[in-house]
Amino acid sequence: MRSKPIVAGLVILSGVALVAVQPVTAAAEQTRAGESASVQHGIDLVASGHCREALPILKRGLPRTTAKTLRYNAEMATVRCAMAVDDEQTAADTLLMLKREAPGDPEVLYIATHFFSELGMRSAHELQTRDPNSYQLKRLQAEALESEGKNDQAADIYREILKQNPNVSGIHYHLGQIALAEAGPSGSTDQAKQEFEEETKIDPTNASAEFVLGELARRAEQWNDAVQHFSRATKLDAGFSEAFLGLGMSLAASGKFAEAKAPLEIYVKQEPGDPAGHYQLAIADSRTGDKAGAAREMALQREAAQHNGATDNAQGHAVQQ
Amino acid sequence: MPPSLSRRAFLRASSCSAFAAVINQRLARAITAVPASPLFESIPASRSGIAFTHTAGLSPSMYLPETVGAGCAFLDYDNDGWMDIYLVNSGPCDFYTPPSPLRNALYKNNRDGTFTDVTRKAGVLGSAYGMGVAVGDYDGDGLPDLFVTQYPHSILYHNNGDGTFSDVTAKAGVSSPGWATSAVWFDYDNDGRLDLFVCRFADFSKEKNVWCGGHGPGERYYCKPNVYNPMPSWLFHNNGDGTFTDVSRESGIAASLGKAWGVVAADINNDGLMDLFVGDDTAPNGLFINQGKGKFIDNGVLAGVAYNPFGVARSGMGVDAADYNQDGWIDLFIANVDHEMYSLYCNGKDGTFSDQALATGIGAITRLMSGWGLKFFDYNNDGDIDLMIANGHPDLTIHSHHPELEYLQPLLLFQGSSGRGWKNVSAQAGPVFDRDIAGRGLALGDFDNDGSVDVLVSTNNGAPLLLKNNATKGNHWLGLRLVGTKSNIDAVGAKVTWKSGDLLRHCSKVGGGSYLSAHDPRIVLGLGTRKALDWIEVQWPHPGGTIQRFAGLPIDRYITITEGHAGWK
Repeated sequence: MRSKPIVAGLVILSGVALVAVQPVTAAAEQTRAGESASVQHGIDLVASGHCREALPILKRGLPRTTAKTLRYNAEMATVRCAMAVDDEQTAADTLLMLKREAPGDPEVLYIATHFFSELGMRSAHELQTRDPNSYQLKRLQAEALESEGKNDQAADIYREILKQNPNVSGIHYHLGQIALAEAGPSGSTDQAKQEFEEETKIDPTNASAEFVLGELARRAEQWNDAVQHFSRATKLDAGFSEAFLGLGMSLAASGKFAEAKAPLEIYVKQEPGDPAGHYQLAIADSRTGDKAGAAREMALQREAAQHNGATDNAQGHAVQQ
Repeated sequence: MPPSLSRRAFLRASSCSAFAAVINQRLARAITAVPASPLFESIPASRSGIAFTHTAGLSPSMYLPETVGAGCAFLDYDNDGWMDIYLVNSGPCDFYTPPSPLRNALYKNNRDGTFTDVTRKAGVLGSAYGMGVAVGDYDGDGLPDLFVTQYPHSILYHNNGDGTFSDVTAKAGVSSPGWATSAVWFDYDNDGRLDLFVCRFADFSKEKNVWCGGHGPGERYYCKPNVYNPMPSWLFHNNGDGTFTDVSRESGIAASLGKAWGVVAADINNDGLMDLFVGDDTAPNGLFINQGKGKFIDNGVLAGVAYNPFGVARSGMGVDAADYNQDGWIDLFIANVDHEMYSLYCNGKDGTFSDQALATGIGAITRLMSGWGLKFFDYNNDGDIDLMIANGHPDLTIHSHHPELEYLQPLLLFQGSSGRGWKNVSAQAGPVFDRDIAGRGLALGDFDNDGSVDVLVSTNNGAPLLLKNNATKGNHWLGLRLVGTKSNIDAVGAKVTWKSGDLLRHCSKVGGGSYLSAHDPRIVLGLGTRKALDWIEVQWPHPGGTIQRFAGLPIDRYITITEGHAGWK
């Protein structure tokens, strides 16, 4: 630490502007060193299981901790402690900070998974304790069953919710998804369609339900229905890129190539890396006499397809011997 | 509001029960009463005398050719009016040294349901790692010649007419160095001589073999071909003197790089010129439209047959062409691998096609299947075109890393109704349709000359299946052998229209089709229960191009019609 004042002294000789800075920096260094020691102490307290004592020290010291490793360790210790003492706000704030400062860090992602899962469990528990008869709790149960593939049990609960609360949004949507899964690729989708239609009656702003109805119609080659549903989905959610693609594809399939171009152009702007949009737009361009546009989109389609293929390989589908 | 459901998530969600659908399909087969005489009956080797077994030479290095072969053919090599059989086998190459010599097999039809192996006398053993076979009378001497595709070079066997063949590859100039797969004889320039298109698969050699999967025990698998570079296919022009000229480049064929498995030649746009539909794996399918004057343009993308609707290349394998809906325009079929569905492309009459796989139910049925040999034909002679497909996953290890998929898969039979829909009748077609096989090649041929078109299915690393057709009982037919004089002698590209009472039908004699396989050159016209044929019209391919009408023809037998001759034999 002795070298710092000497350096500062040399700076004083060499220019005015830094004269004030360096003494302050030296002081700051001393303060920083003290804070670092304090933060490190907080980390050590966490390691020895003294979370309640550690947390105030860490919260106080963190804003002024700039050393990368120390800061990372302090943040991790803070998250662990905050979770241990049920300080959800601090845990969440620090985790979000960590995710920003160390994006993709496996340990951060691991802790985040645990934390948010724990948070979910706690919320569910609280819901069960405070309002055990609420439809929200039943919905949670049904969603859990659905995720386990227990579709029949889930559907029973969804229907029970609808009996008591016929206008709850999202329930028919789930029933529609279950009906689709049960129908399989070759079964009837009538039941699913009915559920999604009910959903749109209850919640006319549900773009997802409109999208699925559009997709079902597209697969059944009911182009007019598909166009109506996809159109509504795009109006409800201007960022719903795949609805634009569905709309363009359905218009093209029904021979309305000129009309198909506008939604497809939106789609290729939103999803330039997807060959689907370029492919469909190439066909629409070609059928409307725009040979140059078709050639351009075909080239973009090839490029996108090649890029996707390369990504597939890079992800380990094939490894060079 | 529920979270936005992406298209891909939706597609995944809606296909998750595909496995259950396959199981239900099997269950349906198991509980469906099979008629006493099944529609198709597998003739065992002990009855047919066909003792051939394909040897793939499967190795730990998992060279891709090991899992894709091989093909088969019906041909009448000795012109006795009875269909003989040719089967392709593996052989020596840079990645494979057979522990004992392997050979292809030519079986002569003994006219009593049995066959005799005449390979050694005929001299058609093959010389490398065999893939497929195309049959055509390229020199117009009335005898079918054999083009055997192989890795790393192919062979042209000239039929000497005395039960033997000669290897004329070098003289003809058609060795096609590389990995050749399917091939087809057809007359692209309408000069009356059969030219040769040869599919080339990827840029492959032992040195270029790629490791796919993990490096732990049992983790390696056969590669999806997207790890190999695409290559151009070959087009050879028949010079008429026993030699051919490689016109791949100047014709435009070589401009499209692909990984070609299957090919069919047909007049897609009714302009009198034969076009080509090529099934490519992880590369866009080719639709080579014949422009005349020796030029082709690949219009697959804008025609809508190159990619799936989302602009992604599928794994196209076997292909065929026929006017299944009888609207006067050739339609197309292509088999793909699991999760891609097969495609039934309906001709829009304007150079474009629409995939009817979903609308017809074929898509749902084939969602978890991988198809190779396939052919449109009227299996029950009711006058409507049907479809049979040989299936099997290309990766021997697929089940271990995709439990919902099986390496061995059953045959499929779809019954057509001339545009009024397709019905999966596999469950009613006989026990052989309940067997899981590594189906690859599929050839059509009426080996017992009873007018019921039989089927030969080759399997990978196994014995072929000879399927006798019993499905035509009560229906009448007329079999035609067409002989071109001005047009190519095999009459590839001819169109036949026939009328029997209320039934008016037409068909085209396409070149090739299926996968690695060649077919009985005769055409069987199905009449249903109608007991007479009013007339038939034969439109000969160019340069003949004439239309001949014949009336007063017999039924329930084969006849020969020669271009320009008023009568028939």
